[in-house]
Amino acid sequence: MIATTEPAARAVDVTKVYGQGDAAVRALDGISVEFAPGQFSAIMGPSGSGKSTLMHCMAGLDTITSGQVHVGAVELSTLNDKELTRLRRDQVGFIFQSYNLVPTLTAAENITLPMDIAGRSPDREWVDRLIDTVGLRSRLTHRPTELSGGQQQRVAAARALASRPSIVFADEPTGNLDSRSGAEILEFLRMSARDFDQTVVMVTHDPVAASYAERVVFLADGRIVDELAAPTAERVLDRMKGLGG
Amino acid sequence: MVNAVLKGLLAHKLRLFLTAIAVVLGVAFVAGTFVLTDTINRTFNTLFTEISAGTDVTVRAESGFGTDANLDVSRATIPASLLAAVRAVPGVEAADGTVSGYAQFIDEQGKAVATTGAPTLGFNWTQPGLSPLTLRSGREPQRNGEVVVDAVTAREHDFALGDRIRILFRGPTEEFTVVGITGFGEADNLAGATLAIFEEATAQRVFGKMGRFDSIEAKAEEGVSTVELRDRIVTVVPPGVEVITSKQVADESAKAVSQALGFLNTALLVFGGIALFVGGFIILNTFSILVAQRTRELALLRALGASRRQVMATVIAEAFAVGVFASVVGIGLGILVAIGLQSLLSSFGLDLPASGAVLKPRTFIASVIVGVGVTVLSSIAPARRASRIAPMAALRGGAEEHGGSLRRRSLAGAVVTAAGGGVLLFGLFSGAISLVGLGAALVFVGVALLSPLAAVPMARAIGAPFPRIAGMSGKLGRQNAMRNPRRTAATSAALTVGLGLVATVSVLAASIKSSAAEIVDQYLAADFIVSTPNFLPSISIDLAPRLAAQPELAAVSGLQTGQWRSNGQGRSIYGADPATVSQVLKFDVTAGDAGALSRGEILVDENELRNKDLEIGGMLPMTFAQRGDTQLRIGGTFAKNQLLGNYLVSTATFDSFFADRLDFVVLAKAREGVPPAAARAAVERVTDDFPNVEVRDQAEFKQQQEDQVNQILGLITALLLLSIIIALFGIVNTLALSIFERTRELGLLRAVGMSRGQVRSMIRGESVIIAVMGALLGLAVGVLFGYAVVNALADEGIGEVVIPGGQLLTYVVLAGIAGVIAAVFPARRAARLDVLAAIAHE
Repeated sequence: MIATTEPAARAVDVTKVYGQGDAAVRALDGISVEFAPGQFSAIMGPSGSGKSTLMHCMAGLDTITSGQVHVGAVELSTLNDKELTRLRRDQVGFIFQSYNLVPTLTAAENITLPMDIAGRSPDREWVDRLIDTVGLRSRLTHRPTELSGGQQQRVAAARALASRPSIVFADEPTGNLDSRSGAEILEFLRMSARDFDQTVVMVTHDPVAASYAERVVFLADGRIVDELAAPTAERVLDRMKGLGG
Repeated sequence: MVNAVLKGLLAHKLRLFLTAIAVVLGVAFVAGTFVLTDTINRTFNTLFTEISAGTDVTVRAESGFGTDANLDVSRATIPASLLAAVRAVPGVEAADGTVSGYAQFIDEQGKAVATTGAPTLGFNWTQPGLSPLTLRSGREPQRNGEVVVDAVTAREHDFALGDRIRILFRGPTEEFTVVGITGFGEADNLAGATLAIFEEATAQRVFGKMGRFDSIEAKAEEGVSTVELRDRIVTVVPPGVEVITSKQVADESAKAVSQALGFLNTALLVFGGIALFVGGFIILNTFSILVAQRTRELALLRALGASRRQVMATVIAEAFAVGVFASVVGIGLGILVAIGLQSLLSSFGLDLPASGAVLKPRTFIASVIVGVGVTVLSSIAPARRASRIAPMAALRGGAEEHGGSLRRRSLAGAVVTAAGGGVLLFGLFSGAISLVGLGAALVFVGVALLSPLAAVPMARAIGAPFPRIAGMSGKLGRQNAMRNPRRTAATSAALTVGLGLVATVSVLAASIKSSAAEIVDQYLAADFIVSTPNFLPSISIDLAPRLAAQPELAAVSGLQTGQWRSNGQGRSIYGADPATVSQVLKFDVTAGDAGALSRGEILVDENELRNKDLEIGGMLPMTFAQRGDTQLRIGGTFAKNQLLGNYLVSTATFDSFFADRLDFVVLAKAREGVPPAAARAAVERVTDDFPNVEVRDQAEFKQQQEDQVNQILGLITALLLLSIIIALFGIVNTLALSIFERTRELGLLRAVGMSRGQVRSMIRGESVIIAVMGALLGLAVGVLFGYAVVNALADEGIGEVVIPGGQLLTYVVLAGIAGVIAAVFPARRAARLDVLAAIAHE
């Protein structure tokens, strides 16, 4: 079967144009990239480079102008809103920079939210393992306002993995955290890929954060300009300087 | 500053619309009420002016009630011979006598031509010039057996020249030939009344006024002033006859109509007031939410040096602008409301003539004052809260309201509720209606203050089945309803008012219905009740004697009722046949003797006798409109009978006070052993000749009583519907504002896989909880109000409180459905949020 060799997500010659005529902005300009299963990748680039747009398009949150985006075997441009929603619910996990949780739900309820929305019962064993991994066992009945920023982000991380999605997208997940809490989240993402075989794609502009990934893709002006395997913070920073970011 | 406010408002047109609509509808109702009553008033004024247009002076009998006589007061007649004397007065160009009475057409199908409240009038043809009648076709009636019909009746019932038609009178029904069709001035008829016009002698005969006139109308010659003519005629009339200018007659009539309309005006304004009260809740809630959402913006203003007063002024200025906008739109809508009100009232049997729309400056001013007043007053509390925002808040996030502690608010709520309850009860038992209104308003305010305490547990309970029905969306909807108890409570409070009043009326109606059935069992002995559909006194006096002649019937009595006065206070008197009254009614003479009626004495209800300090054997002074002052010997007392009122005389005695009486009901009891069907057939054999009456047995009579109560309940509920609709707009508004506030949360939910349908279902759940909560609180308040009102009305014959459980439950279900409807628009907005933009939303 090809499925075993198939990438978790793949972009083929993707362009994204905002506006029309003279005012048109090419946010993505012919991007092709693949994310292998079980790999932890980082997308880096200066602001305006198109890194968030790329993530949104690959996650089914935004539509592309031309090209193709695949999540697993599914080509996204063929999907309507309902199917995209279901794809996000079942195949994609999200961690945002902030406001990741529903304030009226407890930590435990937030973690199982995508499954509850789908009306599926979660895999208890797996969820328990995640809860222990992020160290939230004692905070499960608390609501987001009763949790610290780091704890909230760990709840979000657990939620992203809870439904065993094909791919997890993290958008600046450490942007609002102190360095220690940030390190905990990054460590968790790295471990997810390593131990749970979870594909993770993280958008960041922080070289230290990027250094946790196995591979870094550099974007500038809507194009992929570079790539780095087994990055360290210093090497990432060097490349970034080269991009003028 | 003003500029900034206006720009801010225009930037959020939808919000402006949703906020303003609460006030628009209330103002529209108030303006509509004024427009309607002003229009009806003008229509009548025009009419009365038209009626008297051709005449200058009117000669008629004085009323025993003096000058403050009402429209419906009948006067004694004057001798026809007086006409010659009047005509002989120098300066009289023309004079004619008028005589009028009850005359009801029977159509081709043999049915009585009924109006919805307007009289069915008959009168005599007078000289052209003196009369407002304008022949459209044919000629005037010249001899016995001829009639002229008004154009509307002729058109609606296909009466053509030469047709033979039957007409009902006080006496026997007669047949006439249509010889003419007439208009009334410019109009086709007289304010909805049907008109039958006869030649003079015929009119006098059919109305039982042989050789008499009701009045004489005289026209002055050129050069003779109205006052001069009046003063000359006065010298030729006997005592007891008054001579007044026709303009004065028109003014009197207009004044009487305007007084009667004043009651309608007040009654309708009460509903407008309720609507505005509800609108006030919504304004308060909306501005509270807006202030909370703009905390950072307002704090920034403070940080930049704006004073508290200035911050408060911006909020109030916004309210003022909304109020002005809403009032202007409301007045425009008011004209439509006037038309709607008119058709609503007419569908409930109250037909009022109105042509064109009269928009007086008073209407405009009153509407703007209440519209702007309610909006600005309701914005004061949120404005004060805005002024207390600390400049530091600019640096913190958090758009949700906080406000003072619930404890202080709840304490205030308890005090206001208790005070309101006290005022309400005091008002009810002392008969001070305005205090009842004030008390009820205070209770609603108090409950609104208290309800945040109940909001969380109630929302939890109401939403309990939601997670099972709608899964995660149901659960989230329920929790959204619980997350801001003040907001949920304030939004549902608006609905509490409307439903509270509907429930009050329902309890009252159910109690009246149950008592009405009891009254029938307790006080009525007759097997058959013959009456017109509206119990109008228009049953021919021939009917009762003809029924009495039927061998299948054991006892028959017609009942009459009329007005008299005691020291200027209006009272009712009843007349019945002394020989049969105790057979058709459960009529019990408790003191004195039953023969008193036949001797021309009066019987008084035993409680009334005690309350009014009267004595058996004493003389009761009475004033009648036709007969003037008189007195009757009190022959005894009778046990309370709801169907007889407090004062009873024989029909013969009654006739001596009221010249042209008609029965309002005829009661008949079947002879022992006659099967009900045969007895009924006997009754109907007679009533077939009187198509304006209906025959009912006891069960049907009870049903009819119930139907009448239901009809009134329906009318009041229809009028309260406005407040309920406003409250639903309040829910729409709150949900829309909450959705705006929760944009990012919605974005997150959509991102992690919530479908549009699930988002809609979530909003729906919240809406249903708010609506049902408002309904439940309303029903609780309403049932308590109902208890109080029924107990206060115990003297009026309403025995026990009946809670119409099924009906109340229906209201809750309807509220739930209304909640679903209110959610449609906000839910659609929420579902259509652009996910990416929502996530990025600041």
